[in-house]
Amino acid sequence: MADTLHHRALKVLVIEDDNEMASFIEKVLEDAGHEVECARDGAAGLARARAEDFDALVVDRMLPEKDGLTLIREFRDAGGTTPALFLSALGDVQNKVQGLKAGAEDYLGKPFVPAELAARVEALGRRQTSEPQVTSLKAGDLEMNLLTRKVTRAGKKIDLQPREFRLLEYLMRHAGQVVTRTMLLEKVWDYNFDPQTNVIDVHVSRLRSKIDKEFSEPLLLTVRGAGYRLQG
Amino acid sequence: MKLPTNRPAWLTLERLAKLPAKLAGRLPRFPDEIRLPIPEPVRKSMPVFMRTTTFKLAMLYSLMIAAFSGALLAYLYYSTVYYIRVESERRITVEFEQLANAYYTGGMQRLSQSVFERMTLSGSPFYYYLEDTSGRKIAGHFPRLPDDPPESGMKTVYFDFELPQTDGTKVLRPAAGRIVRLKDNGGALMVAFDTAQQTVIVDRIQSAILVAAPVALILSLLGGVLITRGAARRAEELAKTAEAVIGGELSRRVPVRGTGDEFDRLAQRINAMLDQIGKLVEASQNTGNAIAHDLRSPLTRLRNRLELALASPMTEQDASNTLGETVEEVDRVLDTFNAILRLARLDAGTEGLRVRMDLSEVAEELAELFDPACEEAGLTFRSQIARNQLVLGDRELIGQAISNLIDNAIKYTPQGGSISLSVTRGADAMIDLTVLDTGPGIPAGDRSKVIERFHRMDSARTQPGSGLGLSLVQSVAELHGGELVLADGNGPPDRPGLRATLRLPRA
Repeated sequence: MADTLHHRALKVLVIEDDNEMASFIEKVLEDAGHEVECARDGAAGLARARAEDFDALVVDRMLPEKDGLTLIREFRDAGGTTPALFLSALGDVQNKVQGLKAGAEDYLGKPFVPAELAARVEALGRRQTSEPQVTSLKAGDLEMNLLTRKVTRAGKKIDLQPREFRLLEYLMRHAGQVVTRTMLLEKVWDYNFDPQTNVIDVHVSRLRSKIDKEFSEPLLLTVRGAGYRLQG
Repeated sequence: MKLPTNRPAWLTLERLAKLPAKLAGRLPRFPDEIRLPIPEPVRKSMPVFMRTTTFKLAMLYSLMIAAFSGALLAYLYYSTVYYIRVESERRITVEFEQLANAYYTGGMQRLSQSVFERMTLSGSPFYYYLEDTSGRKIAGHFPRLPDDPPESGMKTVYFDFELPQTDGTKVLRPAAGRIVRLKDNGGALMVAFDTAQQTVIVDRIQSAILVAAPVALILSLLGGVLITRGAARRAEELAKTAEAVIGGELSRRVPVRGTGDEFDRLAQRINAMLDQIGKLVEASQNTGNAIAHDLRSPLTRLRNRLELALASPMTEQDASNTLGETVEEVDRVLDTFNAILRLARLDAGTEGLRVRMDLSEVAEELAELFDPACEEAGLTFRSQIARNQLVLGDRELIGQAISNLIDNAIKYTPQGGSISLSVTRGADAMIDLTVLDTGPGIPAGDRSKVIERFHRMDSARTQPGSGLGLSLVQSVAELHGGELVLADGNGPPDRPGLRATLRLPRA
């Protein structure tokens, strides 16, 4: 699933008190090629997060000793910058807002699809390395100028609708990573619910027809059971 | 139902029960027990009436009235006494001036003559006494001076004297007077004023005050009780309602008099609070029912399938398929569960924001989101959205409601059909958001049922989803003070299509 060949493994700290859940998360992330450490309560988790330089934190909200929100708040107040993802059974929009306000970068409700978790942790862990103030993005021979909003592939201009532009921008910022449908709906359309119709698929396939159609090597790939990946 | 006896040893019932959690995550934890604090009865050390606010307020009220009337009476008393004294001083002064005149013009002789004249005047309130240098009485009402004359100048004296009556008896009378040592002569003159009448007035006032004060106190107490009793009765109504609610009568409300006073406002607040509590209780009951109704059967199905799988020998491929299906089934159960929780929170009215938002914009976004999917499904999608239609609401919830309506239309409209989304200014300050499809529609008699919780028309059993889509739209509508209206579409009578209108109040 994850591109272990192109990326170094991420060091992930999982703070989760439920043994079964913790080993499930551990397995999912290890299968994705990451190095996982687990903490079983909030206080221990916070101590570990402070002691070592992790690439990403995966935090349950309801934890013994110290709940997840407090943990992240204290971690941020003390200057901790490690990106964090809440993984919680409290999965409503309001809960998400609380989590993001507390200082987490992402929020995933339980139950979750394993690929979704892997993709989000990947996106989180790579976030630090990508420059936010770039004026142009590049993926293979695909280029996007964020100022002139011009997109070219192998020098050939590609016309995109505004939404397609934003979709491609997100994919290019996460080039080489798996991006799920929910992530796209959240980040590109800014909606947190889950439509039953596969609305995102159609948008992606339209975008694909614009960027891949006349080229022999496809850039925008479907990752079965997970989502999409734009080749880096 | 029993598990087959030849099941592998590792597969215990407990493990089986844990399977869904293991595969798909963990459900939210609920507190094991919710304990409502039950108030202890207040300890009774004082008599009941003395602990009441009525009593305290009445006491305070009467104390204040008593203090006020006491101050008033005291003022009255002292100002009267003061006035009388000043007045008699003034008259004595005038009298002295006249006698002094006589003395200066005609000496001692003229003065004594003048004193004699004045003593014979009937009805005069003055008494006189004149003595010569050696202290001998020249004229006067009294046998001697009540006090020694001063070395010089003037001094005021108060004294009682015996006044002879016509019948020979003597009456003791109070008097106030001034004694003056006469210049150049050494004699002394006293002019006194009978203060008996004044004393009577002062005594009257004193006794009036003595009678009036307790009466005023009693009256103020009564007034206090009367005034505060009204308030106490209102407080009692509140307490009674609270008791009834504690006793399980959740529908009881505090009576509102319509006077708009603070008790009315308190009653309204308390009633609003009770309404909200009622809603929450109902929502949690609904959730309980929903879980029983909607989760039990799929879980039973799931269990049956797993048992069947356990009982029959199967290839690795079969086992893998069965597990895959099981995961899907569990996902559906979890979806339903989440939908139930979301509905419960919507019903409780605690969900969602109230911000001014552009419904047209959300509709445009969803039209843009769904358009390609409709086309892919072989449906024509049209949208006609009036601009700048503002509502007070939660973008996410309204977006989800619209998404559910379009999802529903896509689900039931066969290929070649069409779906249209429109936003128009409706009647009565409402905005109508309508999703119209060319599917089979819903017979008029079934419309309330589809909106009702946990009902799914049988034809829909094979479709994905929790069956709570339209219920959620309805809940979102209610939360925003609007409604969901289902009607026939524009198709022929046998396939009218569905016109679902989400009506929201204009901001």
